[in-house]
Amino acid sequence: MDRKRVAILGILFVVLVVLVIVFFKSGLKEKIIPAAPISPPEVEPLRLQPGQTRIVILFFLSENDTLLHPEEREIPADTSVVHQAKQTIQELIKGSRRGFISPFPPETKLRELYVTDEGVAYVDFSKDIVEKHLSGSSAEISTIFSVVNSLAYNFNSIEKVFILIEGRERETLGGHINLSRPFLPLYDLIAQ
Amino acid sequence: MVNLKKRIPFITGAVLFLLLSVVSVSQIQPFLKLTTRDYEEFSRVTIQPSFPLSFEIEKGSSFLLVKISIDIPFRIQKDPFDSRIIRSYGWTKGRDYYILTIKTKIRDFSYDYFVLDDPTQLVIDFSEADDESRRGDREDQSLLDSALSRESDQSSTQEIQTIVIDPGHGGMEPGAQGKYGTLEKDIALAIGLKFKAVIEKNLPVRVVMTRDTDESVSLENRAAIANFEKADLFISIHANSSYRKDARGSESFFLSREASDDEARMLAYLENNPAVVEKGIGGDSEDEITMILWDMAQSAYLKESSLLAETLQEELNFLLKTRNRGIKQAPFRVLTGVACPAVLVEVAFISNPDEERKLQTEWFQNNVVEALYRGLENYINSYTRQ
Repeated sequence: MDRKRVAILGILFVVLVVLVIVFFKSGLKEKIIPAAPISPPEVEPLRLQPGQTRIVILFFLSENDTLLHPEEREIPADTSVVHQAKQTIQELIKGSRRGFISPFPPETKLRELYVTDEGVAYVDFSKDIVEKHLSGSSAEISTIFSVVNSLAYNFNSIEKVFILIEGRERETLGGHINLSRPFLPLYDLIAQ
Repeated sequence: MVNLKKRIPFITGAVLFLLLSVVSVSQIQPFLKLTTRDYEEFSRVTIQPSFPLSFEIEKGSSFLLVKISIDIPFRIQKDPFDSRIIRSYGWTKGRDYYILTIKTKIRDFSYDYFVLDDPTQLVIDFSEADDESRRGDREDQSLLDSALSRESDQSSTQEIQTIVIDPGHGGMEPGAQGKYGTLEKDIALAIGLKFKAVIEKNLPVRVVMTRDTDESVSLENRAAIANFEKADLFISIHANSSYRKDARGSESFFLSREASDDEARMLAYLENNPAVVEKGIGGDSEDEITMILWDMAQSAYLKESSLLAETLQEELNFLLKTRNRGIKQAPFRVLTGVACPAVLVEVAFISNPDEERKLQTEWFQNNVVEALYRGLENYINSYTRQ
């Protein structure tokens, strides 16, 4: 009698487990969009002299007009292009030293940066760039193109820029500009 | 052991209860069953909902759209299938409807449908083309041609029957926020609804809103709604925000594309698949080209879109005496897939406290709507056949 009960219980348990699995596994599954393919960072021959520096141009906003304004910054040049590009973006999100306006939430962090052989830089920002963003069209345009122009202007091996957030592709920063394609630089936005 | 023995009836009861509740929950939620089966002459898609069925069908060159009216969520049960004709299914959610896209592997298909009762089933049979359905093929080819050559004179002479107004953001997604707490989504909706009322009062056109309440609508669905409703014009309404404190005025945007990029993609594709050009498009290759075309939908209308942006912006500048910030191009996500002239209007800067206050007032909202309406009228008078 006892054994029979345990057996029934056992069968019921198995049926329950199967039903639970069927319940959760069936139905319309949400598609997971895989993160954009990223090739490993460029390996470059290190025949650069230690201690060498170079000037890069960063682009910021100004209260006077809607354009992007250049500001020079010295960065170490004894490293790979990828490393220099990282430094450039880090300097950019730190902000201007000449009183220009930074189009980034101050909490923004650069997580990673890669450059593919096809000349596409993948720039991966922390989620702060979305969560703390002003979200307007103009704000999004200036954030995106200060990044894109600052990279494409300074590095010949970067032709386009793809922006990632927390390692993943995102549709927009705040509902406006399309992030699902790489950006070409927009030099029309640069003040003369 | 004695303890366990005593508990067995209780445990059995609990397990049964759980079991029943799992089964009943999965039964209560409405569902829709989708089966695909190939027969010798045709492929049959059976749509069997657990709810009353009200639907419309629309045929494309390599897809069929089934608009199903239902305002509650439901589960989709889809059997795995391998069909000669049916490639895949896609879903788009509207406010009180869903659109099922049935993509076909072949371009020249014809279809036939009937409804069975008890249980309710919509049965759609797809078969390979007869001559009648090849017309769609030609239309698609001309879309391809116009996308490639960037000529699209057809639409500029088209009569305007349907205007889609798209109030930006909504629901969980507030958009930009002003210093005094004004939300972009609320301003966009208020102006959008006023604009709709004014158009309907003055013009013999149908106005469709992508949202008319405070709700979330994805950017992709906004374009899908416009295309499904066969929109002749698409106007998205937003309020701007900038990191510059002094930024003010209105701006009208139309889509900028990495044009060279798109063309390069298309040309590279055609170069690698010369058979496509010679034999026409069919089989597996066709899906990619369709995808590129959908992705480029707006590219074919950039000229009209720029004209619409211009006429709207002119009136906004005139009436609101805002500084001319002119028309601009940017890669707006919401505009990409819209297959008609489409613009995005930033009526003023919510990030500017002066303009934020104005945006809250009926007076300013009415002025904006008046300007938009005049601009729209000018566009229709100047660039479309009436």
